[in-house]
Amino acid sequence: MIRKAALDSVYIPSEDVVAREIEDAIIIVPIVSGITDVEDELLTLNDTGKAIWQKLDGRATLRGVIEALTTEFSAPAATIKEDVLGLVSELLRRRMVVEVSAE
Amino acid sequence: MKKKFVSYQPLKKLDIWQKPNKKRTLFYFDLEITSRCNLNCRHCYINSAADDQAALRSELSVQEISAIADEAVSLGALWCLLSGGEPLLRKDFFDIYLALKKKGLLVSVFTNATLITPKHIDFFKKYPPREIEITVYGTSRETYEQISRIPGSYNAFQRGLKLLSAAGIPFELKAMAMRSNLHEMQDIIRFCAENNRDSFRFDPFLHLRYDRNPQRNREIIAERLSPEQIVELERAYPPRFHALQKNVKKLTCSKPADCDSQRLFLCGIGEGSFSLSHDGVMRLCHSLWHPDCVADLRKDTLTHAWDNLYAKVKRMESSRKEFTENCSICSLKNLCMWCPAYTYLETGRLDSWVEGFCRIAHAREESLKINS
Repeated sequence: MIRKAALDSVYIPSEDVVAREIEDAIIIVPIVSGITDVEDELLTLNDTGKAIWQKLDGRATLRGVIEALTTEFSAPAATIKEDVLGLVSELLRRRMVVEVSAE
Repeated sequence: MKKKFVSYQPLKKLDIWQKPNKKRTLFYFDLEITSRCNLNCRHCYINSAADDQAALRSELSVQEISAIADEAVSLGALWCLLSGGEPLLRKDFFDIYLALKKKGLLVSVFTNATLITPKHIDFFKKYPPREIEITVYGTSRETYEQISRIPGSYNAFQRGLKLLSAAGIPFELKAMAMRSNLHEMQDIIRFCAENNRDSFRFDPFLHLRYDRNPQRNREIIAERLSPEQIVELERAYPPRFHALQKNVKKLTCSKPADCDSQRLFLCGIGEGSFSLSHDGVMRLCHSLWHPDCVADLRKDTLTHAWDNLYAKVKRMESSRKEFTENCSICSLKNLCMWCPAYTYLETGRLDSWVEGFCRIAHAREESLKINS
């Protein structure tokens, strides 16, 4: 069962996808089947999604990711927390990120 | 923060391709990973025999392909096509395919489907291609094998399609129209339309061999439809004919002054793609084999060739009257097969007039007038 993203967990991009940065956009290209709902569609991340994705480095917990983003963005911390948990939960559901043990 | 961080977009509609005035960026490349084919189609512009040892020895290795693909990815490439010859003939097909996928490339495959096995099915189910395209030569054994010249190939083709269908692996069918299958084209069109998700396309223009082999070129010429047969076929297939009718004004220059009279390449050549032969010859267009327009990537880097060839090709001009007073200023040039690449294959020059192309263009013009 796929769990929702947790604040004290650490995540890293799955080996089943390749993140391509093209023209400032992040495009997630699946290697294996079952990653996207519709064939021939690719997931792209906007600036906010890109900022979150780039911090999923296998070292920082989501709590740490949120703290870092709070210094970069002017949005309220509660909004950033909600956004990070929402995006990472979606990425988990799509097997685009995996949870790893915290160092 | 903005609420919507992710979006799903079809490849063709990705925002990155819609940006106005974007700089020239590599998007796509096709790799002819072998020239060898298990079929021996009459109209084929590239194939060598499946057991051709010289062709086999000259093929790029997985490591060479991987290194070139690394450069392509660093230049921005997102999509790669594996074609041939018949790509499934390569014993290391899976290695090549996976190496490309793992670089973050979307990989398409052009195949005749005759070599597809359950092993391929399992592989494609696990590592889906962006698309598989298959050419239909005929819907009867007699017609198919009249073209492929390999007994048993029709059954192998049907078996391949059935394996893909049963596994739910999507594929697109297309067709070449030629003398040997003209009598069956309506059945071929129907067969393709029934099996395709998207619209079906057929090509009635057979171009000549990349190796300029005279005997094989004679076989191709013998298969070419006449201009009258081509326009009749176009008119018999409404989607194609309506598209031509709709775009006829765009396809024809209103007056010769619209055309640059000396520049050879007015198309989008090299704007976002390149082709690579089985032995490492890079072209900015798959049919452009003039020696001044190619680079050997066993000796040159892709990054250098990508810029160098483009600058060279875009500058190429001709002041020969045969060009400047005919094709260059012809208002029908976009209804014509004429382009420097095809013309080189026909005549050995980039700037010659080709009677057959001209006749087709005028027949199409007449056909469109009649029905407009």
